[in-house]
Amino acid sequence: MTAGVPTEFIAPGPQSFDTPPIIDGVEWFTKPVLVSALTVVVILWFFWGASRKAAVVPSRLQFAGELGYNFVRNSIARDAIGSQEFMKYVPYLTGLFFFILLNNVAATVPLLQFPTFSHIGWAYSAAIMSWVIYNAVGIRKHGPWGYFKHQTMPAGVPWWLMPLMIPIEFISNILVRPISLSLRLFANMFAGHILLLVFVLGGEYLVFETGKIALAGVGVVTWVMGIAIAGLELFVQCIQAYIFVVLTAQYIGSAIAEDH
Amino acid sequence: MSEHQDPKPSPPNSGDGWRVLSYLIGGVVLYGGIGFGLDRLFGTQFFLPVGIVLGAGLTILLLHFRYGSRS
Repeated sequence: MTAGVPTEFIAPGPQSFDTPPIIDGVEWFTKPVLVSALTVVVILWFFWGASRKAAVVPSRLQFAGELGYNFVRNSIARDAIGSQEFMKYVPYLTGLFFFILLNNVAATVPLLQFPTFSHIGWAYSAAIMSWVIYNAVGIRKHGPWGYFKHQTMPAGVPWWLMPLMIPIEFISNILVRPISLSLRLFANMFAGHILLLVFVLGGEYLVFETGKIALAGVGVVTWVMGIAIAGLELFVQCIQAYIFVVLTAQYIGSAIAEDH
Repeated sequence: MSEHQDPKPSPPNSGDGWRVLSYLIGGVVLYGGIGFGLDRLFGTQFFLPVGIVLGAGLTILLLHFRYGSRS
């Protein structure tokens, strides 16, 4: 604590997300890699443990696992894709949901405290995976030309407006979807984390570096606000995982829907 | 939008709002981009705003046809 000697406050910025390699010399092994690997282990342990001794009267772990699985299966997959074909996509959607959820919530877990998807490459990869899947299942269902028509001919539009509408439909269904999917997830995680950094580091600066009692009091208020923001962030982290998977399911659903 | 023979009434689709967003971005980007290109081509300045407004308007029309008459 260096009270009385004001040092300059360095605001957190994009550079705060540049994580050094955890082991010297192993360039690729950074914090997001560690966090995502840990989440994979946790998810494997959780669902393996939940289904290993499946019984009619479920254990607590099995109950929790079924709760999570049923949520994705019924509330996301079946509602968006329709009750005939949704089962094929439940494994992917469940895996995706829990992977994103745990990686987001890792931003709140003490010691980890890093949202993997605040590095945009991770968000791009997840979105590209969903993009490839919904286009692939659509092409398999309708054929390349049929799928192209399916995704570019808006339903219910008068014929004389078609030439103006078809490009919009194409751009929004094929090009904007993966971009908005990834940017939404990335920006929410990035902005939420940077907001927390501002509150916590700003509070620390006010309390320890300024050396003025009044400002130290403001710093304490800042910390209290920071805790409230952390609660809000926890909510946002869950919502973003949910939205990503709901939209993926809807894209799959609209790709395989029958023309009408 | 899909007409599956679901026995239960279809629930409100929570993702619709987010899909609408990608339509709006698509329309504005497309026609705004065309306007931007025309401005560059002819050295004018009015095609970009006209394109953006046109794109937004057409997208809203598209959304009206697409989602408006569902119920």
